[in-house]
Amino acid sequence: MAIEVKVRSLRVRQLLTALSFFTAVALIPLVAAIAVIAASEGMGEATRQVFFNIAKWARILVYAVTAVILLVLAYGPLSRLRLWLLGKKEERWDRPWERARFFLLYGVGQGRLPNDLYAGLMHLLIFWGWTFLFIGTVMLAFHDDFVEYLEGHVYLGYSLALDLAGVAATVGILMALYRRYLWKHPKLRLGSLWDDVALLWLMLAILLTGFVIEGMRVGMTELQGATIDVHGGIASDPDWAPWSPIGFLIGKAALESGASQGFMEMLHKSLWWLHLAMATGWVAWVGYGKISHILLGSANIFLRKLSPTGAALAGTALPPIADFETAERFGAGYLRDFTWKQLMDVDVCVRCGRCEAHCPAYNTGKELTPMGFLQDIKRYLTEMGPRLLAARRKGEEVQDERPVAGDVVSFNTIWDCVTCGACEYQCPLFIEHIPKLMDMRRYLVMEQANMPETAQATLMQLEQRGHPWRGTQLTRTTWIEELAREGVEVPMFDGTQEYLYWVGCTGALQERNVKVTKAIVRLLLQSGVSFGVLGAEETCSGDPARRLGNEYLFQMQAQQNIETFKAKGVRKVIANCPHCFNTIRHEYPQLDGHFEVVHHTQLFAQLVAEGRLQPGTIEELWGFPVTYHDPCYLARHNDIVAEPRQVLQAMGLETVEMERHRKHTFCCGAGGGHMWVEESKGRRINHTRTAEAVASGARVVAVACPFCLQMFEEGAGSVPEAAKQGLQVLDVAELLERSVAYSRAASVR
Amino acid sequence: MSLHIICCVKQVPDPETPASQFRVDEAAKKVIPAPGIAPVPSQFDTIGVEAALRIRDALGDVKITVLSLGPESFRDAIKHCLAMGADEGVLINDPALAEADHWVTAQVLAAAIQKLAPYDLVITGRQAVDWDMGVVGPTLAELLGIPCITIVKDVKVQDGKVVAERVLLDGFETVEAPLPAVVTVSNELGEPRYPQLRQIMMAARKQVTVWTAADLGLDPSQLKNRVNIEALYVPQTKVETEFIEGDTVEEKVDRLLQRLREAKLI
Repeated sequence: MAIEVKVRSLRVRQLLTALSFFTAVALIPLVAAIAVIAASEGMGEATRQVFFNIAKWARILVYAVTAVILLVLAYGPLSRLRLWLLGKKEERWDRPWERARFFLLYGVGQGRLPNDLYAGLMHLLIFWGWTFLFIGTVMLAFHDDFVEYLEGHVYLGYSLALDLAGVAATVGILMALYRRYLWKHPKLRLGSLWDDVALLWLMLAILLTGFVIEGMRVGMTELQGATIDVHGGIASDPDWAPWSPIGFLIGKAALESGASQGFMEMLHKSLWWLHLAMATGWVAWVGYGKISHILLGSANIFLRKLSPTGAALAGTALPPIADFETAERFGAGYLRDFTWKQLMDVDVCVRCGRCEAHCPAYNTGKELTPMGFLQDIKRYLTEMGPRLLAARRKGEEVQDERPVAGDVVSFNTIWDCVTCGACEYQCPLFIEHIPKLMDMRRYLVMEQANMPETAQATLMQLEQRGHPWRGTQLTRTTWIEELAREGVEVPMFDGTQEYLYWVGCTGALQERNVKVTKAIVRLLLQSGVSFGVLGAEETCSGDPARRLGNEYLFQMQAQQNIETFKAKGVRKVIANCPHCFNTIRHEYPQLDGHFEVVHHTQLFAQLVAEGRLQPGTIEELWGFPVTYHDPCYLARHNDIVAEPRQVLQAMGLETVEMERHRKHTFCCGAGGGHMWVEESKGRRINHTRTAEAVASGARVVAVACPFCLQMFEEGAGSVPEAAKQGLQVLDVAELLERSVAYSRAASVR
Repeated sequence: MSLHIICCVKQVPDPETPASQFRVDEAAKKVIPAPGIAPVPSQFDTIGVEAALRIRDALGDVKITVLSLGPESFRDAIKHCLAMGADEGVLINDPALAEADHWVTAQVLAAAIQKLAPYDLVITGRQAVDWDMGVVGPTLAELLGIPCITIVKDVKVQDGKVVAERVLLDGFETVEAPLPAVVTVSNELGEPRYPQLRQIMMAARKQVTVWTAADLGLDPSQLKNRVNIEALYVPQTKVETEFIEGDTVEEKVDRLLQRLREAKLI
């Protein structure tokens, strides 16, 4: 289907983004090196003396130190690995080639960094600069100890490339220091631990000492044409010096300022040892502090959750509890209830703040901060993990272990999440925030029955009545009866039709949403799509129960629907609720329910493209800019961003975009069961989003989700700017129905 | 001291069902709910179970038995209360008692309670949310010959006595009674707790004792309803709308006042 093509083109785009960054930074030194090799003539002898001005035994020392350092480096991740293994088992080794591809795209290619341009560029400069310098050092060791190949053009190119890499890394580090000290970027709120700061200064010192050492060497050898101890002694040449441009400048400055030979030797020697100590120290550090993300982050990208159904994020399809009878504990209450991968996630986090910057809960003043709760668990794992390990070895219990759910991570933090996926979508290291929060909800709900009153009322309601809309005066067939009175016969699904139109609870039981349901049915009938509905046989898809932590209820509801679908011969489903859409598409397969699901905006885009629906201009909306609000569960969780816009464009509407749109969309506030759960504090998420819609200049918000519709309608009435602007909220289907009516009226005329 | 609390629980058609879903058969004098309406435990009765559980939370050694009179489907209501934390369930299921009114219901429940003796406290909801009569609790107390405290928002057992706070129109009063006693609880007591999944699973495995009238030594033919329904119908509500016309606001207000005075509304 069309969906598959969409996903692939998106991947291509991501690949290109990553490649462009890759090439922009990495190709500069490479191209320079090739240019040198091509351009420089008559310098066939050019090379350098390794360990110039340094005692011969230093070589042995360097290797000895490196061996020790590598052991120290390895100890860090291994000691954390032991802590992760406190967690439960989880399979993360399947589909290795796909994993390798993701690693290349997002690890080496750093595909998610361009989401924040400044920080992305900064990181890429440091990353590629540092990588080249590291590779250069290894190349030099190879040259010195095995095959002497860094000679002539190759050497000059090599030298220039490394100097440029050093400049790139220095610029990156300076950008980081500027961002931290002068800009004081809010994303670095948690990042001012000593180790984060010390790291930057250390790397700057390594770079600067490296340049000075190079400068002294160039000043003492090449610039003076001195004999160097290579091939039994050859004369160096001042013409080589400009190919080490930074060293050349420093060396020249030193000579011109009249520095004595003795001073230069002394400076070179002392800085060489300092540089060696700092560089090897840095390598050891890679096993521990924030910089360990070079190893752990890479591993985490490789070990990311892969979905069998193409779910975009880990939080798109929550992992099921396989067997309730044998489960030791429902959900995650204590450290050992998380899986090893979930515990690894908390260690991988580098507090970069991208998740937090996009989190609707955090940005409206709630307690939840995605990186904050990861750091809280990490701190507790570091404190309690070793004791738990020791106790496990002795077969004892730790008496004073605190629960993670509700204690280490606060009750409100766990309940503030709207599962919009912004954190997971932003995280450059593919940390999986949502399943952790949902596992903690499961523990609170199923083990402790500890939840906000509104969540409890919703779950009781779902359990007793099979839908979340307490107090509704409608039934699942009211709208069908109403349409019948208008003379519109709604077909009931009997297995002969191509599609089941899954109306959903909100589409049937909320008066405002019933209008959308009717519009969809009229459009489907007009375009001759073969479909039917289930009427009273529908029950909740299970999404609210699952995201409110009652996995047991979810599985019962989902199984009931799957049985109904199978008994009726359903193969293809049209859903207008992105939450139902997502659950049927990605979560029913976990319970052996495999159905093809299409969102109504996708189907309508196709019908319009095929000419089966012919939109016309809606006269009363002339001069009314329309903005489309991407629902989280379509855009971020399912990569559906183009089709709804295609439908709007086909109507000839004047469209504007909100600041946060497509996969960067901002939640309406109703995901994760929050349609029915009161927000704990702060500004209402839907008011923030409504204000953003108003700021875009739109007079109409087009939505594609029943919850978004409710949230924006409420916002349009409560946010003063929206009321002043007379903001209208309409589903894409409602707009399309009006538009098609115009085109038919026009054709009759 | 071990305590035995018996909670009487009824299952009702979902009270949140839109009124339009019910039909009244005036000839048969019966309310006919539309098919597919979920039966749920009567809210006040689950609040009664909550009250019993709070007593157990405070005292520890308390056994809670859930008692219900109705058809097989009432088992779900009992299971729900077991999942909340009650210990045992008893269902009196006898087709001969299908038409029982409050009087027969109270007699059957009283016989069952005596069979479950020794008991210290009987808790019921202030009323069932289907017919809202609110008489089974006090009638039970009368038949058992024990004190009754109605419509309470808090109930405790202290020093062999029951201490309860009754809801009044303008506040509340604290009432004591010796055990055993009947207490009927009101929604001011608080929300019934949400069952933990483990308890739901345990409740699913628990056996519910089923008795018939004969098991209680009762002869259904001797049990006669005392309530006779004379007529059953949906009250007609009539809304009339009248627009007051006038050229100016003042004129409209004057005429409105005049109309209201004529209608003796002010």
